[in-house]
Amino acid sequence: MANEDITWDDPGALFQIEEPNAGPRGPARHPGRGIGIDLGTTHSLVAIAPHGAAPRELLDEQGRALLPSVVSYLEDAVEVGHGAAARRVEEPARVISSAKRFMGRGASDIDFAHPYRLHVEAESSVLRFDVGVDAGFEAGRSGSSRRVTPMEVSAEILRVLAARAEAELHEPVAGAVITVPAYFDDAQRQATKDAARIAGLEVYRLLAEPTAAALAYGLDRSVDGGGQGLFAIYDLGGGTFDISILRLRDGVFQVLATGGDSALGGDDFDRALAQHLLEVAGAPPSGQHDARQREEALVAARAAKEALTEAETVTVDLPRSGLVGHRLGRVELEALLEPIARRTVGPCRQALRDAGVRPSELRGVVLVGGSTRVPLVRRLVEATFKQPPLSDIDPDKVVAYGAAIQADILSGSAREGVTLLDVVPLSLGLETMGGIVEKIIPRNATIPIGARQVFTNYSEKQTAMVIHVVQGERELAADCRSLARFELKGLPRLPPSMARIEVSFQLDADALLTVSARELMTGIKQTVEVKPTYGLSDAEVDALVMESLDHAEEDYDARNLAEARVELGRVVLAVRTALHEVGHLGELLPPQERTAIEEALARAEQAMGPQGPQVHKAINAAREGLEKVSEPFARRRMERALQSGMSGKSLAEIESALADEERLAERRAGHEPEPLA
Amino acid sequence: MLAEITNDPGSDGSGAPASEPPASPLRVTVRAAKVMRAQLDKRGTPQAAIRFGIRGGGCTGYSYMFQFEDGPPRAKDTVVEAAHGVRVYLDPKSLVLVRGTEIDFETGIRGHGFRFANPNVDGSCGCGESVSF
Repeated sequence: MANEDITWDDPGALFQIEEPNAGPRGPARHPGRGIGIDLGTTHSLVAIAPHGAAPRELLDEQGRALLPSVVSYLEDAVEVGHGAAARRVEEPARVISSAKRFMGRGASDIDFAHPYRLHVEAESSVLRFDVGVDAGFEAGRSGSSRRVTPMEVSAEILRVLAARAEAELHEPVAGAVITVPAYFDDAQRQATKDAARIAGLEVYRLLAEPTAAALAYGLDRSVDGGGQGLFAIYDLGGGTFDISILRLRDGVFQVLATGGDSALGGDDFDRALAQHLLEVAGAPPSGQHDARQREEALVAARAAKEALTEAETVTVDLPRSGLVGHRLGRVELEALLEPIARRTVGPCRQALRDAGVRPSELRGVVLVGGSTRVPLVRRLVEATFKQPPLSDIDPDKVVAYGAAIQADILSGSAREGVTLLDVVPLSLGLETMGGIVEKIIPRNATIPIGARQVFTNYSEKQTAMVIHVVQGERELAADCRSLARFELKGLPRLPPSMARIEVSFQLDADALLTVSARELMTGIKQTVEVKPTYGLSDAEVDALVMESLDHAEEDYDARNLAEARVELGRVVLAVRTALHEVGHLGELLPPQERTAIEEALARAEQAMGPQGPQVHKAINAAREGLEKVSEPFARRRMERALQSGMSGKSLAEIESALADEERLAERRAGHEPEPLA
Repeated sequence: MLAEITNDPGSDGSGAPASEPPASPLRVTVRAAKVMRAQLDKRGTPQAAIRFGIRGGGCTGYSYMFQFEDGPPRAKDTVVEAAHGVRVYLDPKSLVLVRGTEIDFETGIRGHGFRFANPNVDGSCGCGESVSF
């Protein structure tokens, strides 16, 4: 283990191309130039909160904040937003209005109805929308083919929002925080990042929508909670319903459970009401309402629903269907909506059960999504969670606000002195024998990340192992920052290096570190959670890294020395134990060999003493000498143990025991941390 | 002996660098070249080059230099043409220490980045950012 010179099996660090004259590390910060984007299924919007200011949404030229997440590919021009949405009826296949549902999905994932012509390219398996002119659609026009990916469609939306922000900031956007549903898998998150890349937008990080909503309400900082608490985020958007249970601990949110219905939302309210209005208007002579009549009814239904959040009654006109001056009351509306809204209750209860949380334990319920303005929905939420929901912030904008706050922090603004992380600023590791640090998660690894490593015992008498979690770049634990210390007790008594204790580090997207230690034979386990960088500023991180460079040489000397001592100590202990147990048996240890071993032991004791840069070489030499001289004795002892242990066992049993032994040896040799699947 | 060296910035390096003989100063995998190309384009300087070499500093005395290069190559620079029209400049001093290095691009638990396999190195420090020869 302790080599003559430092050579790592590790082939080295990963490098990025640097700007000439750039600082040694870290992305350039541009305080105040981060933006928050809520990239929604139905609507998207952008907000900013520069230099610690309160978040605000950015409007288009008509003063509208919400941009319909609709992109049309008509007349060779790409249009985004309201204009595109208006063309949906005439060209349903060429106006893409829910690209988010296709992001990062394969053909087999698309189990819902949609009006698009989908293509899957065999080699890449990426879905594409064919937005060319459909030859069969209109006589006299020839077909054409133009295919766009869901990422490209989303990129168009992001471009419009980024342009809005640049017009407001009068300078380029440095980076964006984009929100994604908590349940988005890696492929969907990657697709979202790709969309931003296509749009030329730097992504600071993706943020879970419920976490963004909680940040907007400042639930992480509220005084009464002390940075702790459980929250429910109820998000009823246009086409989707999501419920998330969050746990706040040490100022960090963790998603405990999510649930919902990907085909339930305000659009269902609109459709139910539109259907009702068309029934009132009566069937046309053809027997079926045409697309334009249905679209008219939908628009009128949406307007009526919105008006009825405040008003008790509204008047509805459907000129195309011959309905004029129809009076609609809130009671009537709610009777139509109730069966739909009630479908959100089941997922809420399920999420609470999944999280193991009772409604009374919740410190707050946050409303997200325009459909939560419907009074009926608020009453249902209050009844389900047994408390009035938080609704001070516009539910259409709350997610973008949270993203804007986080983007401002990530842009480098001094905002409550918090450092938010998307990479690990300092390595995380464990103290091992001799006070040496074994790094498990290296500096600058992107989070979330997990890694584990198997450790072993030092002596037979060891029945507990202290797990000391440290942070820093220095080689000795004493020079690093101590994060947590716990003891794994009840280890089985095993010969040195036979126990296997697996230590795993999991750093989640919110930079919460979970360290678990498990003894693999008995399965006993201990876990601790820490927030590694809580309260550490950028400047402090820089200082710690620089310090490690300054002390590099002495650190390596100290590490070499400590490692050499540990190794020698281990061999000395093993030899002494063997001498004590079987050293008196003449057939195992002839007297002259015993003398030689004792001389080597004495030399080893002497080698342990001195300090200095090159001392580790002398220690290693003493260890090698001791190993060599005691090797025949160790072999005879092993053979004897095998003979007694193996008598009466079948060949297969012996072979399997030997195979186990080999596997163990391999794992012990495998000293590199391994990534977790 | 330097293979495939040209100072013509306009030439398209369409040849596969993977097939260069081992004596070549530097090998850039097609994957790494593709990422370099993408980063050059994203930076808005598709004509710029990459400078690769060794500079002093770091825990064991040397560390890699790996950066964008907007200017033309210096007189004694070696220019390696990689795939996708990517050009990498090496200064003569660095060349001694990096000859035969393979630059690859990797995605893994440590995130994404370029990996240098340098046959001249006999030790690297824990952080991997500095090397000894």
